[in-house]
Amino acid sequence: MAAGFAVSFAVAALVSPRVLPSQGLVRRLSAPAAASFSGAPVARLPAALDIRRLVPLGDRLGASRWAAVEHAAVARSRPTLHSAPVGVVPARTPDGTTNIVVADGEADSGGQPWVHVSLAMLPNGTEGWVPRRALGGWSFVDTRLVINRARLTLTLWRAGRVMFRARVGIGAPGTPTPAGTFYVRDRLSGFTDPMYGPLAFGTNARSPTLTDWPGGGVVGIHGTDQPNLIPGRISHGCVRLANSAILRLGKLMPIGTPVRIE
Amino acid sequence: MTAGDGVRSLRLDDFDVDGAVRDTFEVMQCHTRSIFLRRTAGAGLAALGAVAAWPSEASAAATSDTAILNFALALEYLQASFYTEAERIGALHGALKQQADVVGGHERAHVKAFRQLLGSKAIKEPTFNFHGVTESADTFRTTAVAFEDLAAAAYKGQAPLIKSRSYLAGALAIHSVEARHAAWIRRLAGFLPAAKAFDEPLDAHEVVNIVNSTHFVTLQDPTTSSQTSPNFTG
Repeated sequence: MAAGFAVSFAVAALVSPRVLPSQGLVRRLSAPAAASFSGAPVARLPAALDIRRLVPLGDRLGASRWAAVEHAAVARSRPTLHSAPVGVVPARTPDGTTNIVVADGEADSGGQPWVHVSLAMLPNGTEGWVPRRALGGWSFVDTRLVINRARLTLTLWRAGRVMFRARVGIGAPGTPTPAGTFYVRDRLSGFTDPMYGPLAFGTNARSPTLTDWPGGGVVGIHGTDQPNLIPGRISHGCVRLANSAILRLGKLMPIGTPVRIE
Repeated sequence: MTAGDGVRSLRLDDFDVDGAVRDTFEVMQCHTRSIFLRRTAGAGLAALGAVAAWPSEASAAATSDTAILNFALALEYLQASFYTEAERIGALHGALKQQADVVGGHERAHVKAFRQLLGSKAIKEPTFNFHGVTESADTFRTTAVAFEDLAAAAYKGQAPLIKSRSYLAGALAIHSVEARHAAWIRRLAGFLPAAKAFDEPLDAHEVVNIVNSTHFVTLQDPTTSSQTSPNFTG
């Protein structure tokens, strides 16, 4: 193999631009030869095939990744099967949609890849390691949502730019909206309950007080049938927007968007 | 065809929207093995050739050109997604990262070119699950060698069927770049960049079977939207 590499490197050196004559000279030498071969001009490439142009990635800054949970898995404190279980990552959310996880790290343990994820359980902020084989393919988002409980505002950022801002209603003092870093994991619409407005996003945040709520007290971001209460501290923990605002947000915010509630 | 929960194998039907590639294979079964291989290779090149065609020439090309173009587009989707995912996850460094950045840019350019040429006839991008091979340098390197060798063989397999001269020029323009990619990653992986004096082509069925064996193509998005009433706290 070493000999093969030596030969290939020698050939590479021969055709290196450093030892080639100018490109103009190469054209003068090769074009007449090609014409004399076939008697026809060289076929030209269409502009669409100008593959000298690289297509770079979009803005990589702030991108985060998520994957669907294909098989329910036990999340563990370290990336090994023998470490302590932290919780279960189900394949479905309480609303029947595919559960997803947002990853912020990976590790290899004995040839098996593991992924570090945030869980949808109390206490909020619980993290753990799940086997990579339990997850589907990665999707990437460059959006992030910031909910400021002091100012009663919601701001959607994308690639470092503000895309949308709105006033919100948040949890009342007895049923607070929890602080922390979460993510959007599903999108519900077409339902008849006017309390949620026309559109609702589910997150992996849980109400710290309404633990016996159906579905475990998932904190959502949704519309309302009481827009006069916005802005305010009036909800059971969810983040409420005017219906026009949630519809606008629905056009801008993809699944997997990280959510910071501060 | 089900390969697992939420996973379906890639089929010729996924890009052979007008049945042209399937018809080609059925015709080819009536011929000798050598003729079969040549014609399969030709069909592949036709697809590649279509990529290179000017719009006026594309409209004049046979319908099989569209199927072959979509076949090539499916391969480019696969490669572009692979490199893009590796770039975004950021587990690569040094020479391997440089290779992924440059080759990823090429593969995305190929996708862009095929989609532009096919217009509304372009197949939709499937979803992929690379099962963690983009998340470490070792698995990335091994998979990239396989992908680039496969792409070079697949383009070579389709080339003889190209009808349009301009298409053929385009096919060869991409094929040689894929061969350069293969040599580059082979060198980084410790293999001979060019192991043989003559490379073998692969026909479309062989390529599809190889891709299916990886289970990288899922063709099904997760159900993250629903019309059920929320259980949120409100």
